[in-house]
Amino acid sequence: MLVPVFTLKLNYKILPRMVALGRFDGTHPCLAAATQAGKVTAASPGAAAGARAAPHSDISLLNINQGITCLTSGVLDPQLGYDSLLVGTQTNLLAYDVHNNSDLFYREVSDGANAIVLGTLGDISSPLAIIGGNCALQGFDSEGNDLFWTVTGDNVRSLALCDFDGDGKNELLVGSEDFDIRVFKEDEIVAEMSETETITALSPMYGSRFGYALSNGTVGVYDKTARYWRIKSKNHAMSIHAFDLNSDGVCELITGWSNGKVDARSDRTGEVIFKDNFASSIAGLVEGDYRMDGNTQLICCSVDGEVRGYLPGGQEMKGNLMDSSVEQDLIRELSQKKQNLLLELRNYEENAKAELNTQLKEADGQRGVIPANTQLQTALSVNLGSDSQSAHVELCISTTNDTIIRAVLIFAEGIFEGESHVVHPSLQNLSSCVRVPLTPPKDVPVDLHIKAIVGYRNSTQFHVFELTRQLPRFSMYALSGPDLATEPLSYVNCTMNERAQRIVMWLNQSFLLPEDAELQSAPFQVCFTSLRNAGQLCIKIKPGGEISISTDDIDLAGDIIQSMASFLAIEDLQVEADFPAYFEELRKVLVKVDERHAVNQRLTADMAEHSNVIRSVLVQAEDARLLGDMQNMKKRYIELYDLNRDLINQYKIRCNNHTELLNNLKAVNQAIQRAGRLRVGKPKTQVITACRDAIRSNNFNMLFRIMRVGTASS
Amino acid sequence: MLKLLCTKFARKDYNIVGVTAQKTMRLLPASGRRATQKVVVGDQDGVITCFGIKKGEAVPVFKTLPGQKIARLELGGALNTPQEKIFVATGSEVKGFTKRGKQFLSFETNLTESIKAMHISGADLFLCASYIYNHYCDCKDQHYYLSGDKINDVLCLPVEKVNCITPVLACQDRVLRVLQGSDLLYEVEVSGPPTVLALNNGNGGDSGEEIVFGTSDGKVGLVQITGSSPVHKWEIGNEKKRGGILCIDSFDIVGDGVKELLIGRDDGMLEVYNFESADDPVLLSDHALSESIASIQGGCVGKDGYDEILACTYSGWLTGLTTEPIHREGGSGEELKLSQEMQSKISSLRSELESLQIKVLQEREKYQQASQSSTAMSSVPAFSVNDKFTLNKDDASYSLILEVQTAIDNVLVQSDVPIDLLDVDKNSAVVSFSSCDSEPNSNFVLATYRCQANTTRLELKVRSIEGQYGTLQAYVTPRIQPKTCQVHQYQIKPLSLHQRTHSIDHDRPMNTLMLKGQFSFAEIHSWVVFCLPEVPEKTPAGESITFYFQNTFLGTQLESTYRKGEGLFKSDNISTISILKDVLSKEATKRKINLNISYDINEDSVRYTLKLIHPKLEYQQLLAKKVHLIDALKELQVHEGNVDFLLPKYRSILEESDQLLEEYKKQPAHLERLYGMITDLFIDKFKFKGTNVKTKVPLLLEILDGCDQDGLIAFFEAAA
Repeated sequence: MLVPVFTLKLNYKILPRMVALGRFDGTHPCLAAATQAGKVTAASPGAAAGARAAPHSDISLLNINQGITCLTSGVLDPQLGYDSLLVGTQTNLLAYDVHNNSDLFYREVSDGANAIVLGTLGDISSPLAIIGGNCALQGFDSEGNDLFWTVTGDNVRSLALCDFDGDGKNELLVGSEDFDIRVFKEDEIVAEMSETETITALSPMYGSRFGYALSNGTVGVYDKTARYWRIKSKNHAMSIHAFDLNSDGVCELITGWSNGKVDARSDRTGEVIFKDNFASSIAGLVEGDYRMDGNTQLICCSVDGEVRGYLPGGQEMKGNLMDSSVEQDLIRELSQKKQNLLLELRNYEENAKAELNTQLKEADGQRGVIPANTQLQTALSVNLGSDSQSAHVELCISTTNDTIIRAVLIFAEGIFEGESHVVHPSLQNLSSCVRVPLTPPKDVPVDLHIKAIVGYRNSTQFHVFELTRQLPRFSMYALSGPDLATEPLSYVNCTMNERAQRIVMWLNQSFLLPEDAELQSAPFQVCFTSLRNAGQLCIKIKPGGEISISTDDIDLAGDIIQSMASFLAIEDLQVEADFPAYFEELRKVLVKVDERHAVNQRLTADMAEHSNVIRSVLVQAEDARLLGDMQNMKKRYIELYDLNRDLINQYKIRCNNHTELLNNLKAVNQAIQRAGRLRVGKPKTQVITACRDAIRSNNFNMLFRIMRVGTASS
Repeated sequence: MLKLLCTKFARKDYNIVGVTAQKTMRLLPASGRRATQKVVVGDQDGVITCFGIKKGEAVPVFKTLPGQKIARLELGGALNTPQEKIFVATGSEVKGFTKRGKQFLSFETNLTESIKAMHISGADLFLCASYIYNHYCDCKDQHYYLSGDKINDVLCLPVEKVNCITPVLACQDRVLRVLQGSDLLYEVEVSGPPTVLALNNGNGGDSGEEIVFGTSDGKVGLVQITGSSPVHKWEIGNEKKRGGILCIDSFDIVGDGVKELLIGRDDGMLEVYNFESADDPVLLSDHALSESIASIQGGCVGKDGYDEILACTYSGWLTGLTTEPIHREGGSGEELKLSQEMQSKISSLRSELESLQIKVLQEREKYQQASQSSTAMSSVPAFSVNDKFTLNKDDASYSLILEVQTAIDNVLVQSDVPIDLLDVDKNSAVVSFSSCDSEPNSNFVLATYRCQANTTRLELKVRSIEGQYGTLQAYVTPRIQPKTCQVHQYQIKPLSLHQRTHSIDHDRPMNTLMLKGQFSFAEIHSWVVFCLPEVPEKTPAGESITFYFQNTFLGTQLESTYRKGEGLFKSDNISTISILKDVLSKEATKRKINLNISYDINEDSVRYTLKLIHPKLEYQQLLAKKVHLIDALKELQVHEGNVDFLLPKYRSILEESDQLLEEYKKQPAHLERLYGMITDLFIDKFKFKGTNVKTKVPLLLEILDGCDQDGLIAFFEAAA
């Protein structure tokens, strides 16, 4: 059994996910962690390092005075020869040289820094500190120059660098709040994987393999775009890290959970090979030679400041890191399997016996005897709703005879509040058919895992029918006739050299059509109405492969382009687009951003002025006290109190202003991302870069032109 | 030579049989030169399996054919000879087998119900069905007793020591009934519903009068049953909130010359207590198995010279916790042999599995084909679910425990009353609450528990509100083909937070509710069963009956006395009376019985109840405030580097922060529940006066936040 080689207790709390290990003087490893009240602590093992006992720690504190949102360490400036500490807050990024107690740079980052990763990206030669903020990604070199910038779909929550395509250069993995993992080859998106919740952590394992964690308690491993395995727990994964704990040459995925558990899972199967428990939630997992004896340890920190280091298990453990012997467990597992098979066999035997008397009796119904040819049928359709019910997708589940459906459990991710939806009719409403309204909030294909509990009215034991149906990506759009009056003004036009039949195939696969659309020759058009907001969507196919998509929803247009492109295997696609209403809104947002910036400056000036006044009042008050002029002193202190109140009020205003600013900036970044999503491949990257340049030069007209036609030059 | 005290046990899984009931596994006494003992176990398929262990493998001695399920298995024989005859209770029959498996007795009793508990002493046989106790000698009926509540276990003090036959019944209504012949000698009140009895030290101690009992709420105690009255010796509480006790044994596993107490619980905890200091037991070691432990015994099974504890779990696993070290330092030859044994066992299992798999595939295909036929029927035998739905006194919530013989796939929980489902830390299942439609399908809770692989046991916590009653249903789907699902129902009663108690404080100011009408004793009893938990379903013998109850959350009490045509309910809590009045009149109307209801409201009782609740309220509010401050104080501590500048009051909060948080976490929503109950009290008080005070509730909540006892009482008295 693997036991910690050292444990130590830091006397402060550690904020989740904010732990890093660095050699800030080039030799001694130091554990840096963010703690409450905007402080970073650095604990290094003292002279006694290397002893079997807990390393004695020297602890130093660094004041940031702002809520810390991310933290990492590593080599930012190769010339220095030692690691730098990087601390991100909602507004700033600090690169800090711990050894010399000096700043490498201190940059304002308006999009905030939710996640940070340090390393080399693509062909950029110098190491970059890449931060992910509100829809934006930014990479800084050791002098604070931003050499990398791009946008992504939503707030970034996790980042990792990994050689995704095996070309020897790192790609950037970005996990965001829109449930997507995106892979950036520098600023070009090369892959996108849809997950089922916010991606809270990413960790490269080796080669193109990486681990991920979601906010709903899922952890798993991807190899390129294919998911190897995943498991879901009721606890939350706080931190993941790849580490070879059993010395077999392959990294395991180590997960630190919110209930204080740490487990190591095989990268191939997800099987647990080691676990340990802490008294409180895990804050972070790092690796390094903390004892300075030449061996790398896995170091786990809990939020209460408990730190344990584990050495990889040696040869003599034969990969057996757990308490009990493998053979014992194997025997138990096999016996259990045998028992299950015997049970199943007995089930069939009993069933065969029961079949002999085919007469259905009252008592049999209770025992759950149903006709053997009972089948479960499912149908998906669009329901336009009524006065009492809004429009929805309807899943109709029915049996083929007089058996009733007692309850239906649907497990699906991302479309219900939890992971499941249950329909349980009351006794008087039981029937052989159950209609389940579904309203997927996003346009993604969803697998519905249906479990129907079938029996008779008074049964206590039921049969469970299990089946899986896929909900098409654009199921929330109902086919409708072309309505010229409400035809959307916005459109996307592009040319695809594809046969119309292939596009019809795509239509059948992606929409819930009453009957499969007939093979039509171009030109033709199909119109849909959104069940969410009754918005119109028209897809026109003209001769010559010209396709026009009209909708006022720019996201929907982007989704359709992306879906078509992946179905038809299109690599590069340039489009012409116009979204007058959306662009007008964006223009307003841009104006607001400027306003907010101005307000911010004014408030900062006010604050500086106030602090001057405070200084003078304080001196006056103290003078008065020394002179024994109590009345005057009291007056000054009352003044001070008022000033303090003013400052607090102003602070609140500043906060509001800042939030507003952040929201607006997010909207701008999202707009750029959306403009990008209307294109595929190279044109997509070009649009994003061009938009950025336009915003930098504050040229709004240029920005809109780029969004429309895809390039800056006409 | 000094023998090393060994408290570290290695686990060994020996064998698996069918689902087993409580107390159905015993070790046969060692015979001949061999020191290892054979294991005999009876399961719910009716099969008795007897096996020994050779080279780590189970070698069968005999196995009987399937039959009715076995409720108990005991060993017997002539007094003062080795007890090696095997007796099993199945249905209403007792069967006897020799240690070689030859049946020598088949005794069809005159009991109409199936046997629940059995004890054997020489030629005396003690049997219990649900409420009935019967004593046979040489299979001839001797004595008979009808208990007031369900009998869980039976025992007889050792005849050779006490010189008379003294049977003891463990009854659900929290008493041990000591009998003499067909008559009740006296009752021993214990703190929880006793589920199992055992002789202390295996022989009743020096006097032969000491028995150990275990309760369903996880307590263990020792009582001396003297000729005239009971003497309570010690009791082990259940601070760790572990499961109920299912089996008890005494065995010297440590080898210090004193027998340790071995305990198996229904949450899979196996505990060893020893008596090194004084007479009070001290927990020596514990071991967690994954499912409830139905039977336990100490002995020597696996290897000569190494004692071990053998446990039999619900799903039929026979697991040994042995003192034999599994991996010894050095001695590599031994280890090699060990692993060879293992390897051969594994390969034989694998080949067995393969052939089974083929067979199953064939059968599966047949089953699939049957679905084409229009006349064929598809039925699946019931799988067994071990369930328990009990009220916890400590936090006034119910715990629902579901245990299945194979892994659970998912459990759907549905309720037609508003309840809170709370998470239990040790569960690994992923919970998902589905949106509910209270109209028209009357669902207030729909939750799915998707279990991780190999979960056979699921525990849920349910918090109910008094006055809201209905049914909680659990649909259990195990991971086995063909997929089936079983529904189990649990009643949430109107006075769901009440618990039976032995006595109440008669000096409290009481409100009374009096019922008169044309109803029978059985009818009013059924209404009481409907309203209150822990009341036996059978109508009590005699003309009238009195039950005492305590509200586990507030500590208020209820006395109910009723007979044919008359019922009297007394409580210091007006809300309790109000709920009873509503439910009883509703039930009577349902049966078209004219009820004459009169009540007498005692104004003092409100003041009394408020005074009873207030300290709890104050404590909770203070706790909430303290917990609220912890984070801020900690931040100050980091900022300033030390806490010397803080007031002692705040310093103590910091010092105790861990305990405070722990306590706060333990009782979520405690304050809200208190608020809710005080509000109910307020509304109910005035409801009896005929005034509706719902509009004044916000005002009341304001006063509650202020937490001033006199103010609160004044408000209760002023508002009208």
